[in-house]
Amino acid sequence: MRSLSYVQAKTVREAIEAYAAAGEGARYIAGGTTLYDLMKLGVERPAHLVDIASLEGADRIDTSGDVLFFGAGALMADVAENDVVRRDYPVLAESLSKAASQQLRNMATVGGNLLQRTRCPYFRNGAIGAYPCNKRAPGSGCAAIGGLDRGQAVLGISNACTAVSPGDWPVALTAMDATVEIQGPAGPRSVPIAEFYRLPGDTPHLEFEIEAGEIVTGISVPKTEAGRNSTYLKVRDRESYAFALASAAVALAMDGDHIRQANIALGGVATRPWRAREAEALLNLRTIEPDIALAAGRAAFADARPGEHNAFKIELGARTLADAIMTAGRKMQ
Amino acid sequence: MTQERTADRPRVDAYEKVLGRALYAADQPIAGLLHAMTVPATIAKGRIEAIDATAAQNVRGVVRIFTHEDFSQIKTTPAARGAYGQPGKGHQPMTSPVVRHRGEPVALVVADTLEAAIEGAEAVKVRYAPEPFSARMEDELASPEAQPDRQLSSGDAEAAFAAADHRIDVEYLHPQQHHNPIELISTTAAFEDGELRIYEGTQAASAFAGGLAGMMGLEPTRLRGVSPYTGGGFGQKNGIQEQSVLVASAAALLRRPVKLVMPRGQLFHTASYRPRSRHRVRLGADGQGRLLAGLYETVQQNSRYDGFACDHGANPPRMYGYHTWQGNDRIVRVDTQTPGHQRAPHEHPASYATECAMDELAEAVGMDPVELRLANDAQSDPITGKPYSSRHLAGCLRRGAEMFDWSRRIADPGALVADNGDLIGLGVACGSYKGSMTATVTTLRLFASGRCEIATSGHEMGQGIRSVIAAELIEILGVDPAKLDIHIGDTGHAPQHITAGSWGTGSVAPAARSAAMKLREELSVLTGAPLSEEPVHVQLARTRRPSLEVTVNTIPLGKDAQIIEQLRRGIPSTTGPEYPDFMAFSWIAHFAEVHVERSTARVRVKRVVSVADCGRVMNRRTAESQVRGGVVWGIGAALREAGETDPRFGGVLNNDLAEYVVPVNADIGAIDVDFIDQPDFKLNMSGVKGLGEVAMVGAAAAVVNAVYNATGRRIRHLPIRIEDLL
Ligand SMILES: Cc1cc2nc3c(=O)[nH]c(=O)nc-3n(C[C@H](O)[C@H](O)[C@H](O)COP(=O)(O)OP(=O)(O)OC[C@H]3O[C@@H](n4cnc5c(N)ncnc54)[C@H](O)[C@@H]3O)c2cc1C
Ligand code: SF4
Repeated sequence: MRSLSYVQAKTVREAIEAYAAAGEGARYIAGGTTLYDLMKLGVERPAHLVDIASLEGADRIDTSGDVLFFGAGALMADVAENDVVRRDYPVLAESLSKAASQQLRNMATVGGNLLQRTRCPYFRNGAIGAYPCNKRAPGSGCAAIGGLDRGQAVLGISNACTAVSPGDWPVALTAMDATVEIQGPAGPRSVPIAEFYRLPGDTPHLEFEIEAGEIVTGISVPKTEAGRNSTYLKVRDRESYAFALASAAVALAMDGDHIRQANIALGGVATRPWRAREAEALLNLRTIEPDIALAAGRAAFADARPGEHNAFKIELGARTLADAIMTAGRKMQ
Repeated sequence: MTQERTADRPRVDAYEKVLGRALYAADQPIAGLLHAMTVPATIAKGRIEAIDATAAQNVRGVVRIFTHEDFSQIKTTPAARGAYGQPGKGHQPMTSPVVRHRGEPVALVVADTLEAAIEGAEAVKVRYAPEPFSARMEDELASPEAQPDRQLSSGDAEAAFAAADHRIDVEYLHPQQHHNPIELISTTAAFEDGELRIYEGTQAASAFAGGLAGMMGLEPTRLRGVSPYTGGGFGQKNGIQEQSVLVASAAALLRRPVKLVMPRGQLFHTASYRPRSRHRVRLGADGQGRLLAGLYETVQQNSRYDGFACDHGANPPRMYGYHTWQGNDRIVRVDTQTPGHQRAPHEHPASYATECAMDELAEAVGMDPVELRLANDAQSDPITGKPYSSRHLAGCLRRGAEMFDWSRRIADPGALVADNGDLIGLGVACGSYKGSMTATVTTLRLFASGRCEIATSGHEMGQGIRSVIAAELIEILGVDPAKLDIHIGDTGHAPQHITAGSWGTGSVAPAARSAAMKLREELSVLTGAPLSEEPVHVQLARTRRPSLEVTVNTIPLGKDAQIIEQLRRGIPSTTGPEYPDFMAFSWIAHFAEVHVERSTARVRVKRVVSVADCGRVMNRRTAESQVRGGVVWGIGAALREAGETDPRFGGVLNNDLAEYVVPVNADIGAIDVDFIDQPDFKLNMSGVKGLGEVAMVGAAAAVVNAVYNATGRRIRHLPIRIEDLL
């Protein structure tokens, strides 16, 4: 039988050493809600698990300084329910509380969340498996292109892969210009979230800017007034417990009733958390009106490339963003 | 008495279920149990050229790997999966190198542990010679059957349609749906006390055991089927599964107990499901909305090899007083696994199409949809001319309209708007389900200690059949529910009918009731006097007898004693809806209120009101639960569920509960349920008609009609999703 070693690390250093010592086939495991799932689907076959769920202080949530700091080991549920986050940064709290289910949020960490993998059904189908998929088996092709692509991305796609980046929290973090704090054998480094996620290009199996053995230690989010006028709107195939068909994270910094700076990111429609700069620019110095909001929504999808069954995501995405802009705008009144 | 029966009584097994003490088939503690896992086919059609099991053999813990070469002596009989009782039909995987659908088992790995079995199964290498296929009825190699499967007609419907003042001619498409009961399908086979016992959550322990014995060439008496509880069946567990005979044969060959719990991802391929279907509906009415003609043609997507009927046409002509009718149901065959019965198998898709068409007709005539239905109410069947044993559909509509405050409805779509700007739509639709019964053999034993034991036919699938049996015994004998042992679902205690088609309650309630009445009679013979008010066991004790046992055969109306013999041999035999002097159906009316968000087109079902005529209500609590469950299924059908097939690969792509979208709690608003609660004594002595299936018939149509009323969009396929309304 396939054997699996398991160690529980107490400190980041211990974890990194254990990972290096284990060699090929090592994986960190935090809440396990992604990793175990991928193991059952046959996507992941780790030989060594380094458990980082109980690293000392890894679940720290600190909202007292100039930045919000979330330890990678903090639970989704704890961040979603944090009073300061809920009051001053609803976009962050909502992106978490609208994800997965309460049971999962009680297990899953905000660090592990950054590294979840796509829900593309061809990628995930281990049960009767064997679909061509460049993410699972580089070079094998992409079954989603020309297939049942209703859920696939319309932004950031390549001829090798159209899979949606599934997470909600990374979308909110992208809007809020977060930084991912990483610790590796060579020391610590910080990666702006905009650089943390790669476009699929010709190498869709490479998704994150993180090296094997490196640990995400935390996430920092610069404090901003815009946080108060923020929201995360998620539209999906049912009212709860589903991934986004289209979502929008919006935070507005205001000058009176004019928008000084809009921060916008989209989910459910793109191959990575999608910063919508065109929409942001369009809102600059404007007041909050439904037609302007919709124009911003449309601008965000100007470069969209739909497949056979997912063209509706362009209109839905635009309207979702427009609704989110209106909701964020209403918060300041 | 009625008071007692319809009491809001807790389920007799609620406690043990909540405590996790109820042992389902896969929970049986059996010493030395081996674990099995299947290797699913990754092609939709073709032949197995070679199986390389070397790597799998080397997995530590693997005991044996079975392939088609080990199982070639298994017979594909009319009991096999997909045969539906017909000789020459059906397909039992692993009896030859032929692969007929994606996901079918091509090897079975048996190991000491589940982990070893899974790893072994993944290590088996299969080389196939694939063949061209079509997995959808629209595709090139799909084969339509030359003859219709079913036809019904009365009068010259074409001519009446041509002459009608108002005509509707529409086509509705219903997708493939999967039951997904929470209890996965498991099979455990073990030699115990000289017999081969098969534990499987099934709705048909006798047919199951007899059928398996036939496939394996065993004496039926050497094999016993045990289905202690069924964790949701809905028709998916009403026969032999693809895996059943494989596990039983593996246990027989290894002479050791073997268990297989089929993973959900594979169940989407090996177990039954509701097939896709197309429905062309033509309705013709005069200026007053009287239905002059109904023409109904359906097409259903079947596998190449199954004997599953297409029966959409059976109920719609019975809904209203059609002056003429013409219907036919056709089958198109493709390269998939066999479809089968799923809660209201044909009644639900048929009611979806025809009740939505009625909504379109109401609009064309300019009539309120409730009024249109009331204007066409009928007390006899347009096809046979026989009266209905009971029909209170008009009562269901009237009471429902009142509870729902239907008078708020405005015919113009989009006219009702909620405070938050959402469009409000109200819709109505009706349903029916045949009143069937089946034979039962019931043994009832009363002990002087007060204990009471009953063994009868029936399977507990969560619908509360134990509670129904208990209710009758409590009423007639006054026994203490805490001292009552109910043995059902076990061929070791009594022959078992298939519990399906909503005939469970209508068969078992009269059975329990007549056994209880016979016991009273015999007790009074023993005591030599009419029974007193004292508890029956006290009266029995006085006769110095430790116990008294009676056996009753209940034979449904229009059948003779031969049906008992059939039951003993595991041959399904039911009656209805046609009886010598009448037709029997349960009826229901559903009212739905939806709110549609204008910007994102999200549909929310705020409230459903359902009023059912199911004869006498045996237990208000379980009956209401049945209807709520049926409505949730209707909402799921209308707005959420579809099994999706990529025509390039076959199989079901969204084969798990994350991707096969069923409603969650947040999708379900208020569901208010009421009953007419009028006994139908023509049908049986308990006055009950079925409820489990009629509960969902028409529910989806009510939601779809409400969506039209909100948006003005006639969406003629299911599920209605955001992209349909944007
Ligand atoms: C049924 C279901 C529904 C879901 N629905 C949603 C949803 O609607 N929206 C949404 O956003 N998410 C959803 N999720 C995903 C869920 O949010 C993630 O699974 C979860 O956040 C992952 O966190 P974890 O701690 O469990 O990660 P793990 O499973 O422990 O780890 C995930 C991956 O990250 C690596 N890893 C973990 N922590 C670190 C670290 N500190 N440093 C480096 N590598 C690390 C692991 O090696 C692994 O590869 C859903 C998940 C499930 C199972
Ligand atoms: S879209 Fe990406 S993940 Fe999906 S099948 Fe294609 S390559 Fe694989």
